[in-house]
Amino acid sequence: MKKILIEMKNVTKDFLQGENVIRALKPTNFIAYEGEMIGIVGPSGSGKSTFLTILGGLQKPTTGQVLLDGKPFSELPVKEKSKVRLKEIGFILQASNLIPFLTVKEQLVLYNKIMRSKGNKDWMDELFEKLGVEKLKDKYPNELSGGERQRSAIAKALYHNPNVVFADEPTASLDTNKAFEVVKLLAKETKEQKKATIMVTHDERMLDFCDKVYVIVDGTLSERVN
Amino acid sequence: MFLALKELKHAKQKFALIISVVVLVSYLVYFLTALAYGLASSYTNAVNKWDSESLIMTVDANDNLMMSFMTETDYNNTTVNGDKAKLGLFPAVIKNPQAVENIDTRLNIYLFGIENNSFIKPKDSNETLIDNKVIVSDELKKNGYQIGDMIAISGSDLELEIMGFSEKATYQTAPVIYMALSTWQSHRFSTNTPPDLFSGLIIRGDISNIKGELATYTIDEYILTLPGYTAQVLTFTIMIVFLIIIVAFVLGIFVYVLTIQKTSIFGVMKAQGVSNGYIAGSVIIQTLFLVAIGIITGLILTEITALFLSDIVPLARNILFYIIITFAFFLFALFGGLFSVSAVLKIDPLKAIGG
Repeated sequence: MKKILIEMKNVTKDFLQGENVIRALKPTNFIAYEGEMIGIVGPSGSGKSTFLTILGGLQKPTTGQVLLDGKPFSELPVKEKSKVRLKEIGFILQASNLIPFLTVKEQLVLYNKIMRSKGNKDWMDELFEKLGVEKLKDKYPNELSGGERQRSAIAKALYHNPNVVFADEPTASLDTNKAFEVVKLLAKETKEQKKATIMVTHDERMLDFCDKVYVIVDGTLSERVN
Repeated sequence: MFLALKELKHAKQKFALIISVVVLVSYLVYFLTALAYGLASSYTNAVNKWDSESLIMTVDANDNLMMSFMTETDYNNTTVNGDKAKLGLFPAVIKNPQAVENIDTRLNIYLFGIENNSFIKPKDSNETLIDNKVIVSDELKKNGYQIGDMIAISGSDLELEIMGFSEKATYQTAPVIYMALSTWQSHRFSTNTPPDLFSGLIIRGDISNIKGELATYTIDEYILTLPGYTAQVLTFTIMIVFLIIIVAFVLGIFVYVLTIQKTSIFGVMKAQGVSNGYIAGSVIIQTLFLVAIGIITGLILTEITALFLSDIVPLARNILFYIIITFAFFLFALFGGLFSVSAVLKIDPLKAIGG
């Protein structure tokens, strides 16, 4: 039996626009199991980012609930949610989540400093090797190519061993070959380390690497069955 | 700490500019403080040397000790629980009689007429004050005077002989010459049979009783009545306080702009779950670090300047003032940094995640 890492139960999200209530997310149920790479596609303005931010605890759902590793997540106070996010979720963002004035290695060391822990040097080296950035670890983000940057970003997202990884348009700035390479690596690590990776993308070609693909249109999430 | 220092290291030039502003302003502040304290001290050194509690002069003198005439009766009627000392005070212009004719050696000084057994006689010279034998401020050494030299007083036939020097003997920025009260009286009233008058009484201890038209000042009160003293100290204080506030604003604005530039980075960090406290702490640490480097450099520059300039300008260093000013710098810089903290709190992590 595969473990459920993150789950959405009957979640809706309403926004007030003037006097009208807009339902950005219709009642949604969603489950991500360990080792699953899930793709989310949809036109802009369809509710993709609402879905992802509610899943990540950056917004509160109007109704319903998000469970992270079986524990209630969406109801936690903002501070607690931040703490949980720091431990349980890894982010890979479009413009990369790297801090411009830290070297690749320091991006990971920063996490140790924030957590006041010594960190795990072996695991860091292993990650650098897996993602092929071991020679780049003393370089600053502006010294890296787009692909190297996103591979480093994956290393950063995986370093603290989160259960869930959110990837928001991770290939937006890459050419096809680089994009394939990055997503392939992400899919491989998802399997090996038994994470659940949720990737929002515009790029249909990247969906070949996903175990499941969901489509959001006008706030309705539905699984695409091939 | 980690984040703050790594950024400083990475963007050295940017931060060097900010630090240089802090260095220049803190240099100016420390230098002004040394100058202000030096000037204030040169007003009051001779007064502080008395190590006394209060001063008495006539009401008619209207705070001007030089225009006060007290009598032996006043002296006897004033009873104190401690000690009392007569002081004659008058300004004079001195010249060096040995100097070559066309060299201007004129110098403004103050004549202190005192009694040999009184507690206000300088402790650093044991010479007896009698006739024309005097103890002078060691400031006169800068003008080439040595022990045994004669000093001429403008507009008088009196020539004084230097018996000894006394440290920190300046009054209203001018050197002091200590002479016997009787000599002072002869000079002051330009007669060999002068009235037995003196300017004021210096009191160590408590006054138990005074009689007549006399006014009592604590030493601090008296110092504030010295012409120009209050205005000068106030002016310096206002300059120093404003400079510290300006540094706070300059730093506050710099750090605020840098923080705003990093909005997207901080947004991503917040989305990842990094707490406001860590980010704000990092901004504050960075601010304090900039201040620390800046003011330490400023202080070192001040000390170096003091080495070269202390003969020319009356610089006096005071550790307590330095500590207070340093503390004020940090405190105000912290206020400046708080603008940025509020900016950090407002950053919305939602914006970090597009869709």
